[in-house]
Amino acid sequence: MIFGSKDDGIIVQGATGTQGAFHLNLMNEYARTVGGKGVVAGVTPGKGGQEVHGVPIYDSAREALDAHDATTCVLFVPGKAAGDSIMEEAEAGIELVVAITEHIPVQDTMKAIAYARSFDCCVVGPNSPGILSPGEIKLGIMPAQLFSRGNVGVISRSGTLTYEVVDELTRAGIGQSTVVGIGGDPIIGETFVDVLRRFEEDPLTDAVVLIGEVGGNLEEEGAASTDLPIVAYIAGKSAPPEKRMGHAGAIVEGGEGDAASKIKRIEALGVPVASKPSEIPSLVRDLL
Amino acid sequence: MKLLEYEAKEMFVNHGIPVPDGVIITEAEEMALHLHKLGPEVVLKAQVDVGGRGKAGGILMAKSEEAIETAKQLFDATIKGVPVEKILVEERLPIEHEYYLSITIDRASKQYLILFAETGGVDIEQTASLRPDAVRKAVINPLLADVPPFLLRRLIGKAPKEIAPVINRLYHVVCEKDALLAEINPLVTTPGGVFAADAKLIIDDNALARQGIHVNRDQTEREREAERHGFSYVELAGSIGVIGNGAGLTMATLDLIEHYQGNAANFLDVGGGAGRERVTHAVRLVAGMPDVQVIVVNLLGGITRCDEVAEGIVEAGISQKVIVRLAGTNEEAGRKILREHGYMMLDTMEEAVRAAVEAVR
Repeated sequence: MIFGSKDDGIIVQGATGTQGAFHLNLMNEYARTVGGKGVVAGVTPGKGGQEVHGVPIYDSAREALDAHDATTCVLFVPGKAAGDSIMEEAEAGIELVVAITEHIPVQDTMKAIAYARSFDCCVVGPNSPGILSPGEIKLGIMPAQLFSRGNVGVISRSGTLTYEVVDELTRAGIGQSTVVGIGGDPIIGETFVDVLRRFEEDPLTDAVVLIGEVGGNLEEEGAASTDLPIVAYIAGKSAPPEKRMGHAGAIVEGGEGDAASKIKRIEALGVPVASKPSEIPSLVRDLL
Repeated sequence: MKLLEYEAKEMFVNHGIPVPDGVIITEAEEMALHLHKLGPEVVLKAQVDVGGRGKAGGILMAKSEEAIETAKQLFDATIKGVPVEKILVEERLPIEHEYYLSITIDRASKQYLILFAETGGVDIEQTASLRPDAVRKAVINPLLADVPPFLLRRLIGKAPKEIAPVINRLYHVVCEKDALLAEINPLVTTPGGVFAADAKLIIDDNALARQGIHVNRDQTEREREAERHGFSYVELAGSIGVIGNGAGLTMATLDLIEHYQGNAANFLDVGGGAGRERVTHAVRLVAGMPDVQVIVVNLLGGITRCDEVAEGIVEAGISQKVIVRLAGTNEEAGRKILREHGYMMLDTMEEAVRAAVEAVR
């Protein structure tokens, strides 16, 4: 549990939208099964006084935090307003913002992350499926039924591909300590390096699966930054250059960030790279 | 979305970055009206979105009296297969020195990255490997409205001081226009001052709406149609259509096809909440590509309703074979619907991909 525990109260910003309300409910169901605090308040400007699945809604993050104890915010606000919402939560005193929102302009993300940092607020995402520490806390939209508790951490730029890998791990009897979706955008708050540093200090994590994709070179930087045993998988070996593969950040640009060069650099560090997702469990088992 | 050189230069001028005198023409004869303003020699630059435009014959020099003839040649040419519809005709500058300047977003520091090189007109990677001391970098906190003078001094070094305001103005362009890349290569010094001889600007696709851009020119018609349905879509050259939910899973599906020596025809990520109608649209869109012989549908998610997805596939009613991997709620109901209509449903993405590769052999 590197991003909080069952004792952390959660605020959902954008709780009155379809997605926000649906996942607020699932997060609270999860909190009930593990005896956690769960979502204590929602924030939607102009909708203060309403309730969503029994959770009170406030007009601002400040009002929500005046009335409730919370450390963490999960954000479902639409792209054009999300940068502002991240800054609002940071300024109000939230320590961790998990931004599920996709399609935030990059400039807004950069400004929000820089602003949040000045309040010691950490941002995961945007374009993240969230974070799940099995048996402890679920922040975001990951399908909890695929997860099992264990000693392997997972860091990924993807959503469903993460579920695929977690499902493979669980079926192979390998449980997870914390699974972190760092987001598919080019600019994200916590990168592989940042999350690996947290895993290094986490007594519950003995090995980490790093799921990357084309675009940038943060996978290589991450793999080079840690002494933890890691297994990597890189998606997008067949991605053509200069094309965005679904994620805003998944693009081979100016001959950089392609899968083959990433895999080569990671393997050069002595880190095993799976050639397909189904190979990951056996490579992890070799490390444990 | 990439802007063409002349569009980028218009934005530069609006922010006070000097560019050569020039006009944009759509047919050679238009030039007669403007030539007297552009001096004895002109540069004709094809406005095409093609890398290595100069080497591919897209930039021609001409004496004023030959310029119309040269423009005709250029309009008749194709640059790496792209027809020339517009030409930017500019005065030929008396260049003293060429520099390189760009601003991009830096994933590692999560800030803007400014790159300045004492050698311009060539690839920045080439300069960086041959003369690393000639390339200087600075990252700038995106909350700042201006590039601080100390960073400007560090960037330009011994280069002329009049370059400093150009760097700051280019930063203003980046912020105001939501650019992911702004590049001036070369930035030239002349007896008459500093000029952006070339211009490159890429606008953030997620900011096109607030920039007043309604059509993303970088997309094909089918890609735009896909986007209207909320899909991410990329066309490739193979015969196996691919539909997945989530960018990573869909990419991994393409990679598996390659792993088993097949060729994917496309990438289609239906995104979150793959309901019945969206699936129907997706299947029809992919089936509409002329080369698609078989389609793999790979959907995984806790909240994906397999029965709805199955109904969506059946509803599409396409002639090609569809191979389905579905995991989520109501899996059994989905499997039953698909079986009744003669579709194959498999348990893992690997089985589905192998069956698809087998089917096109």
